[in-house]
Amino acid sequence: MPAEAPSWSVRVATTGRDAARAFVRGTAFELGVPLGFDREAPSISAMEYALGAVGGELVVGFQRAARRRRLEVDTVEATVEARLENALVHLLVVGETGEPAMQALSARLYVTSPAEPEALRAAWDEVLRTSPLLATLRRAAVDLDLTLKPLA
Amino acid sequence: MKPVIVGAVLYDPKVSVIWEIIQEFFEARGCPIDTVFFTRYELQNDALLKGLLDVAWNSPLAWLDAQRRSNGGCRAIAMRDTDRDRVSRLVVRTDGPVDSLAALRGRTVAVGASDSPQATLIPLGLLERAGLRAGRDLEVRRHDVLVGKHGDHVGGERDALACLQRGEADACAMLDLNHDAWRADGTLDPARFRILATTDPFDHCVFTVRDDFPAAAEHPWLEALFSMRYEDPRHRQMMDMEGLKAWLPGRTTGFGQLSEAAERQGFWR
Repeated sequence: MPAEAPSWSVRVATTGRDAARAFVRGTAFELGVPLGFDREAPSISAMEYALGAVGGELVVGFQRAARRRRLEVDTVEATVEARLENALVHLLVVGETGEPAMQALSARLYVTSPAEPEALRAAWDEVLRTSPLLATLRRAAVDLDLTLKPLA
Repeated sequence: MKPVIVGAVLYDPKVSVIWEIIQEFFEARGCPIDTVFFTRYELQNDALLKGLLDVAWNSPLAWLDAQRRSNGGCRAIAMRDTDRDRVSRLVVRTDGPVDSLAALRGRTVAVGASDSPQATLIPLGLLERAGLRAGRDLEVRRHDVLVGKHGDHVGGERDALACLQRGEADACAMLDLNHDAWRADGTLDPARFRILATTDPFDHCVFTVRDDFPAAAEHPWLEALFSMRYEDPRHRQMMDMEGLKAWLPGRTTGFGQLSEAAERQGFWR
């Protein structure tokens, strides 16, 4: 453990109805509702950002792990999907019970690479072992289903 | 103006999107509403009859229940055009042995959730009027998906069709709208399955209020509701999602079959 644990921070402020902006080190991104059910909604929900963050952690994490191993990687792409325990609780539905907590998350990482599958597997194992968000979800007892799919 | 409190049963989070659009529409018309969601119609009627809700978007069974529990102290003030004159259909295999209702004697009929008017109560009422009582003259295979939501969730009805398709039932019941949609999307192959019988027309959901809902609140609320126009693209998205082309005044003449079926099948016991 480092003597003083580093921390990360963002500042988030509303910018209008169902809209917010997160300011991060001189840059910013826009957020919509916490949890969205409208497929036509133009804004990105907090939940979608969370899934994007996990996907980003996987693809860039894998890219870096492969680079450390001097593996040639053409493309890395992830699909991430999550299910909640009970989304209706978020909507204040009278009579619903439980929590709107993430119950399960599945991710598929597609990698196009001429490298040996065992070498790619070792990089993937490193990502699973060292990714902070994955580790947090694991500690929160989210049912994780994470798969590496090497493509020729 | 004090917001009118409107209740709705939410069988799917996506339905909340419809209510957000409705809320914005009423707000823009100067007739604000607050929406309260319920997981079951029973809870919604509890709130309506205790005076915690002004208007309840009720299933036909919930309408009957509200009337039953209030000794006729409720009114149906509005409904969708598509709530009027619906029918349910009994579907059988085209190459099967069932060619009449009487031929279902001793056989199995798949239905939806136990509290589904369209996929259970009314179709079983049709069979009863043909002299076929569930449990005595035929076996009923129920598909109790999300009981308490009165069949709003299509899952029980779809499971009943799957039961027929697997050959585990000789007939299944479904709402005409679902029958048409499943024929159109290929879920139900018209070459393999055909309609055996169709119920008499019945009505579906209604906005329900207590008798004492003040006219001063009701009139502007209805005026706003009836001002929605399908031709207006701002209204169309919600109306498509909710499955209507126009809001109409509520009527209570279309609940006889369901009332009779619920009584005869001992639903209220």
